[in-house]
Amino acid sequence: MRTSRTLGLIMIAPAAIMILLFFLMPVVLTAVFSLTNMSTATGISGGAYQVTQAAVNRLTTDMPELAAAISEPRFVIDGEGVAALEALQLKPHFATELRSEHLGEVFASRREAERVIKALKDRPSTREVKRISDLFNRSVLNTRFETREALLESLRKLGFDLTPEEQEAVAKATYTGWVWTADNFRIIGNSPDMAQVFLNTAFYVAVTLLLFNVGYALFLAVTTHYMTASTASIFRAVWLLPRITPVVIYILMWKWLTWDNGFLSLFMGQFGYPAKNYLLDNARDAWFFVILLNGFIGASMGMLVFSSAIKAIPETQFHASEMDGASRWQQIRYIILPQLRWPILFVTCYQTLSLLASFNEILLSTRGGPGRATEVWSLAAYHTALQNYTGNLEYGLGAAMALVLVVIGVILSLIYLRVFRYDTLISKPLIED
Amino acid sequence: MRILLDKFSKSFGTTKVIEGMDLEVGSGEMLALLGPSGCGKSTTLFAICGIHRPTSGRILFGDKDVTGLPSQERNVGVVFQSYALYPHMTVAENIGFPLTVRRLAAADIRKEVAEIAALVHIDNLLDRRPSQLSGGQQQRVALARALIRRPDVLLLDEPLANLDAKLRLEMRSEIRRLQKETGITAILVTHDQVEAMSMCDRIAIMKAGEIVQIATPSGMYNDPRSAFVAGFLGNPPISFLKGRAEQGAFVFANGIRLSLAILGGIPDGTVLTLGVRPEHFGTSGDIAVDGKIAFAETQGRENLYDVILPDGSVLRSIQSVRNDVAVGDAVRWSLDSKAALVFAEDGRRL
Ligand SMILES: Nc1ncnc2c1ncn2[C@@H]1O[C@H](COP(=O)(O)OP(=O)(O)OP(=O)(O)O)[C@@H](O)[C@H]1O
Ligand SMILES: [Mg+2]
Repeated sequence: MRTSRTLGLIMIAPAAIMILLFFLMPVVLTAVFSLTNMSTATGISGGAYQVTQAAVNRLTTDMPELAAAISEPRFVIDGEGVAALEALQLKPHFATELRSEHLGEVFASRREAERVIKALKDRPSTREVKRISDLFNRSVLNTRFETREALLESLRKLGFDLTPEEQEAVAKATYTGWVWTADNFRIIGNSPDMAQVFLNTAFYVAVTLLLFNVGYALFLAVTTHYMTASTASIFRAVWLLPRITPVVIYILMWKWLTWDNGFLSLFMGQFGYPAKNYLLDNARDAWFFVILLNGFIGASMGMLVFSSAIKAIPETQFHASEMDGASRWQQIRYIILPQLRWPILFVTCYQTLSLLASFNEILLSTRGGPGRATEVWSLAAYHTALQNYTGNLEYGLGAAMALVLVVIGVILSLIYLRVFRYDTLISKPLIED
Repeated sequence: MRILLDKFSKSFGTTKVIEGMDLEVGSGEMLALLGPSGCGKSTTLFAICGIHRPTSGRILFGDKDVTGLPSQERNVGVVFQSYALYPHMTVAENIGFPLTVRRLAAADIRKEVAEIAALVHIDNLLDRRPSQLSGGQQQRVALARALIRRPDVLLLDEPLANLDAKLRLEMRSEIRRLQKETGITAILVTHDQVEAMSMCDRIAIMKAGEIVQIATPSGMYNDPRSAFVAGFLGNPPISFLKGRAEQGAFVFANGIRLSLAILGGIPDGTVLTLGVRPEHFGTSGDIAVDGKIAFAETQGRENLYDVILPDGSVLRSIQSVRNDVAVGDAVRWSLDSKAALVFAEDGRRL
């Protein structure tokens, strides 16, 4: 017993590892990324601490005085500066006096530092004062520190005596790498753009699913059921074409149909309509074609699943229902549809998920346009994380959007299972002779 | 309602299943279609109910030609060989389906279903699904569904095949009672001759797509037209002896003769088959036959013996239970020569 259990574990181990690596890990990683602000700017490895103007701006919102002070130049009379002064070969006493009298002094502004330099015994000229003060300018602006300690140490040397909160704020504002944050979800929740994309997605999925992937597929399956076998198979083959055509070519054909000099424009031209790009001229037309070209691909799968499910119904049930006086329509309603509950559930579920996740047809045809009219969630995630015009790819935000998609998919599946009463479907035998 | 098949033929592609069949079933009559598997019984039934279109010929209900009429308009009730219950509906929904598609009020349907369910004794099963029923219960649901809309014609395709012996006996009389009460015209397809003989007014025996004889059960039993018919009816079955005619006697291959009065007038040398039913060989009869008991079986009230004759052929005998003979014993039993049936080489009755 025990050995057989161990053996079983060993046997499934490769599959388990595969599942872990290729199915679970991506989801986990997506979840991890979604909790960061990773982007092209932050990179995906660690970052450094840099007091850029942007960092100062960030700090200004919380601690305006500190931010202003840090961004100000700082002047420190240190050995380094004195050595540099000696190298300039001005009057030698400048250096010796600064070293003996003022070494270690820190001035908050250029004016204060220059007052001391001007007062040197050898009286430097105004131009020399400027040159000398430059040598002691120790501003942290635009300096890069590899660690937080180096940054704070440097600030301390410059006379900033920071409280722990201030240290924290400065470090946070100046960090150039990615950090953990839930901001992505806040952005998704609050941005009106995201809400629009969400509505687009709901519209696209619902309409395509209802009209084509389930509705039209059912229509095809039922009508082909009542055709002779050869006509039916021709019909099914025709509807399979969109599915088996490579998607790039398939979309290209739609473009030939809808472009300014495409078939539609030529045809409408016969009736005096000006040529236009029917795919992109307005949101309504764009949706029309996006749903149509996706629906034609999607309908074939449902058609196949439903057809074979109808075939699995014993023929005598159709005979019996005819004897019972059922018309065709009543056969469909009372005999076929009730026995297609499980395939309909399966197709609805599967196609919802694939419609939610797939965007290649839209990307290739409208690119989400015109404007962002046909931008759906997955396409928006792609644009955010992998391909956008600003060049700053926001991996973290994209991952968060993908995660939202996964969650929505799971929730919808659970709802479908409830609606179609999955438990009753599996707990009782479906077919018997 | 009378059913008439007029030169009915049916072929599937190039396979001819039925050719030029003529059959009349009188109004209120119950007819058995009896025949071996694959002889075209179901095909005939399917043509009558409208599932198959005849390749040629006509089908009449009463005086009305229904050949081109769709099944829905024929008012025929059918119990299919496989029952064809709807697995997703409860028993009540199954039985009420013919009324549902006629858009009767739900309350009326419920009432009629309850009535008919009581008739076939399944009123306690109405909420179950077909998968939760035994074969016999399913069969009664199918019967109730066929009867509920009071059809003119009832077609039963081996309805009792799945039942145990006791239930089968019960259902036989049940169906017959229902049929007589409702005065419905019925065709029962079966390959169980006992069923055919006990339930039906007349029997039509089919062989390879043709009706070889139609008669009442006793007429068919006592006066079969061919060896095929004689072999098909009777349980235990008739035994056949091969030989030829010689001066009013039946001569086996090894020369042993049985003088039979019924052979008078048959030319010498004619090759013959002699059919002897088990009840015509045993304790009473006019000709003595020697043999050895090869097999004995008790059937409770009666015993069945196989007796090997000197030439190797076998005669079956059924007699009241006795304990004085056993397998291996040599016996000399009597054969009732007047009841023996004589067939020509091609199976024709002489
Ligand atoms: N759809 C069909 N296509 C081709 N041949 C068929 C078809 N239906 C029946 N047949 C053939 O017709 C013949 C008669 O079939 P049928 O079903 O009527 O037999 P049956 O007498 O009902 O036999 P059983 O007692 O086994 O039910 C068989 O040889 C069968 O193979
Ligand atoms: Mg049959």
